Amino acid sequence: MGVLKKKDPKTSPCAVLRAAYHDCFNRWYSEKFVKGKWDKEECVSEWQKYRACLSEHLEDKHLSRFLEAEAAINSSDKKDSTVFN
Amino acid sequence: MVKAYTQEHIYKHPWEIVTSASWRKFTEPENKRILSHILEVDTLNSNLDSETGKLTTTRAITVNAPGPWFIRKIIGQNICHCVESTVVDGQSRSMQLTSRNVSLRKYIEVEEKIRYDPHPENPNEWTVCQQETSIKIKPFTALASMAEKIEQRCAEKFLQNSVKGREVMERICKYLESANSSTSNSTSGISA
Repeated sequence: MGVLKKKDPKTSPCAVLRAAYHDCFNRWYSEKFVKGKWDKEECVSEWQKYRACLSEHLEDKHLSRFLEAEAAINSSDKKDSTVFN
Repeated sequence: MVKAYTQEHIYKHPWEIVTSASWRKFTEPENKRILSHILEVDTLNSNLDSETGKLTTTRAITVNAPGPWFIRKIIGQNICHCVESTVVDGQSRSMQLTSRNVSLRKYIEVEEKIRYDPHPENPNEWTVCQQETSIKIKPFTALASMAEKIEQRCAEKFLQNSVKGREVMERICKYLESANSSTSNSTSGISA
């Protein structure tokens, strides 16, 4: 981590952090969530690192457009207990 | 000019396993070869209501632009960005995914809704997947005159991809089940 290799245009600069988060999430979902253990927050540090990287590379990935669309989709949804944020 | 179709598939695996597989389908590197139309998946947001067991997630999915090659020529784009929002209700055991494209919308609008529910006749062992897809080519574009043909070709492509998707789902379900039975010290497997 830290040093980014010369870019393969197909590889996201956040690929490593993304994989770490998704692995953690997938494990949490199948081992905890579906068994009713949804009271505790998990994968927080993985999420924070990944999310920080994503925001940094918004421009590269045209993700700003996603975020706008997402805001539109979720605007009616009020979320209070944000575990992964 | 809208092409819409629905599909239903019964997985002979419990809801817990099938929905786990749904999360893993696009994020596990070993599925990339089969699901080659999926280029990148990023999670934008994930919220858990720890009181009610409701999980809401938004992901950005980059795919190869749908439809036949000449469309990509006309629109000058090889890729298409989509947003997928998922709501899982852990208490009532339901999962709903809605995906739509956010780029290329002046040419095409695709919306896909998928639901995973326990099978009513065998709720602890089987899962019903219902999928609704609608494809709309926008009028007044370079594509409009061939809209119907393109919608048809897109639909065929989506159907092919959903067959591949189910193959991957089945494979993940199987290994999750085997991992599950080897780690759990009872024979009950996943209990809801």
